[in-house]
Amino acid sequence: MAVELPHLALEQLARSASPPAGGTPLLVVESGPRPRVHAASRAARRAGVRPGMALVDALAVLDTPHLVEYDPAALHAQLERLAGVLLQFSDHVHPEPAAQRIMLEVGRSRRLFGGLEALREQARQTLAALGFHARIGLARSPAAARLLAGLRHPDIPETAEALRRTLGPVSLQALPLSAATREALQATGLRRLEDLLRLSRDALAQRHGLELIRLLDQLLGRQPETLPRFSPPAELDLPLRLDHEIHATTALAFPLKRLLRQAEAQLRGIGRSLQGMTLDLQHRETRTRLELELGEPDIRATQWLGLWQTRLERVTLEAPVIGLRLRAERLLDPPTTGAALLATAPDDHATGITPTAPARIRARLGNAAVFGLENRLTPLPEAAQQPCPQPEAMRRTNTATPSQEVCGSAFWVQDPASIAPQGALQPLGRLEDGWWDHGRDQRRDYALARDPRGRRLWLFRCLRSGQWFHQGYWG
Amino acid sequence: MGALDTLLDHPALWRGRSATPAPDAPVWPSGHAELDRALGGGWPRGQLVELLGAPFGCGETRLLAPMLAACGQAGYRIALIAPPATPWLPGWQALGIPAERVLLIRADADRDRLWAGEQCLRDPAFGALLAWLQGPVEAALLRRLRLAAAESRACAILYRPPQAAQQPSPAHQRLQWQPARDGLQLLSLKGHGRWARSGQPLHIPDPHPLPGT
Repeated sequence: MAVELPHLALEQLARSASPPAGGTPLLVVESGPRPRVHAASRAARRAGVRPGMALVDALAVLDTPHLVEYDPAALHAQLERLAGVLLQFSDHVHPEPAAQRIMLEVGRSRRLFGGLEALREQARQTLAALGFHARIGLARSPAAARLLAGLRHPDIPETAEALRRTLGPVSLQALPLSAATREALQATGLRRLEDLLRLSRDALAQRHGLELIRLLDQLLGRQPETLPRFSPPAELDLPLRLDHEIHATTALAFPLKRLLRQAEAQLRGIGRSLQGMTLDLQHRETRTRLELELGEPDIRATQWLGLWQTRLERVTLEAPVIGLRLRAERLLDPPTTGAALLATAPDDHATGITPTAPARIRARLGNAAVFGLENRLTPLPEAAQQPCPQPEAMRRTNTATPSQEVCGSAFWVQDPASIAPQGALQPLGRLEDGWWDHGRDQRRDYALARDPRGRRLWLFRCLRSGQWFHQGYWG
Repeated sequence: MGALDTLLDHPALWRGRSATPAPDAPVWPSGHAELDRALGGGWPRGQLVELLGAPFGCGETRLLAPMLAACGQAGYRIALIAPPATPWLPGWQALGIPAERVLLIRADADRDRLWAGEQCLRDPAFGALLAWLQGPVEAALLRRLRLAAAESRACAILYRPPQAAQQPSPAHQRLQWQPARDGLQLLSLKGHGRWARSGQPLHIPDPHPLPGT
């Protein structure tokens, strides 16, 4: 399958911000001694501007067009990111930046996606959702697929015979041949590919050179073409340049949404997930770095967008934003849903649900705002619990040790504070720890009491000093 | 007459003096037969309940232990928003509350506490919410919380100082508690059902009475 992105340069810009107000022509300009038009928006083309035209000529036709500089490196990076997105359709993807094209080996994916036609439609929609318009050609051989994509040919020739039939009426002018060969063919009176296929190989080779023979073999799949596999980068890094400055955080939602959508598509392509990401807001001189962590790996753009909006509400922009950059260095394996598939949970049961509120609360109140407590199994109550920053992921904590049970099922704990108990005491049990505490070992008798204000106190008497300490509250 | 009946049966119409809540309204058991009866089956789910009283530590959290245990064992999370002390979770576990389901949320301002509470109530993973408030709060924030509670299946409990009783509140139920000789005394300030109208305090005995009291 060949996926051609004829308007990559333009569409990449339209992604950066809301497209310029309807009608303003947009030109992508290659700089140089004689600036040339690389790509032109529909409004500009209607006025008569064509790619390849000198900029001076274009400016003569157009009234104040919007000019953007052509940046081949950015286009290349964009194409590779899209190749990463297309990895969800095949494991063998090969971007061809010079032609703004991505090749996919989809023979093995056809059953999974329900036929080649369905597969083509799905690929087209995936790219359209990201704002890219694609021409897709499918054929037995990569060369034929490229040709069909360029011609916007709807056929999907799956057998050698069908391929011959489809390619037959194709004009020879459409073939990727050198100008000399093309002219020579024209001169011999050959117009269509079927005329060429009727001639003998040897005669053709003698007259028009090996280039033509090789192309014909590649087209018909007689000579295999090996394309190197594209391996996606192991981290997520999506830059986005804005074409106008943004002063309010609320206005960042739109570009951020597109970034997140692309991140989702790309991660789906490589079958990874993530739990945290960094967003850089680029200003003219400085940048603001924001970070967000989730309780469980998640790639859904809608989910992340809501969190980022909550996070951005707390940010005041010191300077206007001219660019965004979304990064995630640590990609994880997606969470398995196996347990949820099998378990038939009763109605009133929430074991399978992962809470989403903690992530929202962290986004607004800071990362330390939500925590759980883990039992460290040490005997002294004031030191037995440690905060766990990811309570959503806690599956099971340790149950209380016998020494912890000795001191009873109090509700609230605090660091021991000296106290003089009044009234009756209800003894609970004795807690002793040993030699491993390096001489600071403790022997305590626990008890309950009620103070004059009605509070139920959790107390212990240190057996060494005989002094009473307040350990917490019973209820 | 028929027109009036259809009007009275209309679900959008709220009647101030309507009787006890529907018998099938979801509740968590409170663990005390009398309290269950007074509350109409147990601690109500999908309602905002205020518990007013002081000082902290008289047994007003232990009062909820059976509810929290039922909620945690059903797989729901329990959110504790800004408790005045650190919970001793091994002790909670001894009462059947799974410690890994307890989430603590730290927030300094009452506004943030109420906001965090609303987020938890809007999350179906949470079954119970306990939040401690210090000062007077805007009625609008409480109303938001009441709405969030009404749309959820969680039981939302707000601990507030006794002075808050002077301020009207949109909560579904308001209970005032004070330490009694061997337990807690509960008084309903607002709610529906017979108990709320009777104005009689309810005595909840301590599960572990102290000797000699």
